[in-house]
Parts: sequence; C-alpha cells; structure tokens
Amino acid sequence: MDEPALITSAQRGDLDAFNTLVLHYQDALFNTALRILGDDDLAADATQDAFLSAFKNLNSYRGGSFKAWLHRTVTNVCYDELRRKKRRPTTPLEPDTSDGDEMDSPRWLADKSMSPEQKFEADELEHAIQHCLDALPNDFRAVVVLADIQNLAYSEVASATRVPLGTIKSRLARARLRLRECLQGFGELLPASYRLDKEPQ
Amino acid sequence: MTSFRDVELLSAYLDGLLSPSDSARLESHLSSDASLRAAMDDLRAARGLLHQLPQRRAPRNFTLTPKMAGIKPPEPRAYPTLRFATVLATLLFVATFVINGLAPAVNSSFAAAPAPAYGYGGSGGSSAESAPQGAPAATEAPNLPFAAISPTEVTPSANQFLAPTATAPTEAPSTKSAAPGLGNGAPSRVPNEAPVPFVWQIGLAIITVIFGAAAWLIRRTSENKFRKQWK
Repeated sequence: MDEPALITSAQRGDLDAFNTLVLHYQDALFNTALRILGDDDLAADATQDAFLSAFKNLNSYRGGSFKAWLHRTVTNVCYDELRRKKRRPTTPLEPDTSDGDEMDSPRWLADKSMSPEQKFEADELEHAIQHCLDALPNDFRAVVVLADIQNLAYSEVASATRVPLGTIKSRLARARLRLRECLQGFGELLPASYRLDKEPQ
Repeated sequence: MTSFRDVELLSAYLDGLLSPSDSARLESHLSSDASLRAAMDDLRAARGLLHQLPQRRAPRNFTLTPKMAGIKPPEPRAYPTLRFATVLATLLFVATFVINGLAPAVNSSFAAAPAPAYGYGGSGGSSAESAPQGAPAATEAPNLPFAAISPTEVTPSANQFLAPTATAPTEAPSTKSAAPGLGNGAPSRVPNEAPVPFVWQIGLAIITVIFGAAAWLIRRTSENKFRKQWK
C-alpha cells in the first residue's frame, strides 16, 4: 500500500483511495475506540464517525504519522462520547443470557480458532484488563491504550492526544502503576508468566 | 521505598527511552535495590499483559459511501446551460401573458388621453371624420383569431363599442392615409392584436418543455451512472 499516494488522492476527494486507507486502519481504530469506551457498539459508531470526520478534515493532515493522526480523530470522538455518557448516563445494552443476566464479556466476536477453554480464559483475561482500563481516568486510559495496546511511539501518542511528551511519560507510568494494582485483584485469571504476586516494597 | 519518580524512570526504561547514562545509573540501582526490581517486574508484567490483549477484528467495514461523505454526482457539462435556458424560456413565457394581460389597460388609458391632443392639433375634423370608419374596423375584431381565443383581448373592442368617440382617434392608424398628421405612435396601438402573438407563446412553451426535459434527462442519466459506479 502506497500510503502517501493514497492520502494525496484522498485529499483531492478520491473516496476509493480513502476507503483503501479505511480498510487498512479500521481494525486498529476500532480496537482503540473499544478499549477507551469499553463497549462494542459505541466503539463501532465512534470508528465510523472518526473515519467520516477524517475524510472531511483530511486537508488538515500536514504529514507525519497518518496512523497517529487517525488515532487523534478517534480519540477525540471517544472523548466526546465519554462526555456525552457522563451527561446522560444510560443502561448498557449488553446482550443478556437466557437467565436474564448480562453477559460479562461479548464472546460472539472472539477468535473462532481458539478452543473453548482458551476462549474462556481469553475472555476472562480481556474482561479483567478492560475492567481495569475502565477504572482509569480518561486521559490516562487513552495514553495507555495508544502506547501499550496500539504500540504507538511516545511522539505519536503525544501527537494523537495533543499532550506534551513529558506528560505522556508521566501519565503512562501512572496508568501502568494503577493497572498493576487493579490487575492484582484478578491474579487467578492471569497467565502464570504474568502473575502479579509480588507486592512492591 | 519506590517513589513515583522511580516508577516513571522504570516505565521509560522499559520502553527504551532513557539515555544511555540514565539507563546505566538505573541499572546499577536495580542491581542493589530489590524493591526497585520488584516494581520493575510488576510494571513489565502489566505492560506485557496489555501487549497480550487480543486485537479484535472490526465488526464490519467502515468504508464511506458517497452519500456519507457528502459527495454528489458530477453535474453534466451541458446541465447549467440547459437549466438557464429553461428558466429564461419560462420567464419569457410568463412575461408574454403579463404583457398581453396589461395591453388592454394600456390601450384604454392611451385611448382616453389622446382625444384633446388631436383637438388642438387642428386635425379634429379629420379624426371625427375617421370615426365612422373606425367603428367598422372594430366590428371586424371577432373575426381575428386572437380576439376569439382570449376573452380579455375582446375587451378593447368592447370598449370601443361603448365609447366610440373616445376610441375613434386610436382607430386612426387604419385610416392613416386619410389622416397623415396623426403621428407615428398610432400604428402600434391596434386594439385587436395582442402584443405577443399566440404563436410565440406556443413556441416558448415548447422550448421550455424541451430544455427542461433535456436538463432532467441528462442529470438523471449522470446520477444513474454515478450510482452504478458505487454499487
């Protein structure tokens, strides 16, 4: 994929070129939205809105990491959604089990190549991590999602969140610290190599 | 005791972002400080777990449609010209009715005004003489096609029957040879003829319909082609 050429074409209004970029980045943007918002449907809507906003504001992209630029767009949409949720809290529309209980984690999107046991463990681990991510302040969550889940460089995270590099370092350290403390509560669920059974002294 | 500053350094160290000198200093502390080592292991484990988090596939494609992106089908090159021609022909068509509708009023007011003017022109006698000839001319009006089609256009001739003396001067053009001193403006005010001929109106209506239909057709063709392209 010749990304610069596609971006240039898309900036001239070529929707086909832009859609090629969408197909390339849609998984990454959806995962970012999912980890920040913690809800599949909201994440899908946020991803769609982000791509739409990106197309309309494509001329404001002036070079640099296009991935970071797209993540800034989706992060902004997620922040807007979180603000809206805070103003109007709603009951989550998660699918119910036959017992009428809410399903803990949405399994209908899980990787079908996994065995039932692996899937169960992965679901539980994913649920534990998402639970701890949700407990973080929004700004910390966005930084840790972009740096540790999307593997963006610090400079890209700074660009995506419009926060100075020093603040990114500080927020990332705090976020990892809080996640470590939170995940200790899920010790049994964690893979043996990642057990956090050592308390800081 | 591990301070937050230590945690920040450890976090940056795990990402390989410390300068070589800072890394060397931290490594020497790590070798001698068990609590610092424990903190680093915890941070590394938390970071590793986040890296292990499975990447979900997008539940659907988020590609944009032209409608979502606000892209409209390209306008055919001839469309603006045809649209302008249609609007112009429509305006002219409407204008013909306005002109024809106003014509009787203009004629009647014009007919009332000239009477004294002819008087002091010294040709009153000749115009009076022409009056009897004017009246028969008016009676011929029903034979004219426009008078028969448009009732409003009959009105002038009706006025002439009601006030033959007033309309007499306006009939002068038909007797122009008998009264050459009446002036040049008179011929354009023949009461029985609409200013815009009916044939013109028909022509403008046809032009309006043809241009309008052509504009609509080429635009529709263009839209269909655009939709097929994005299906």
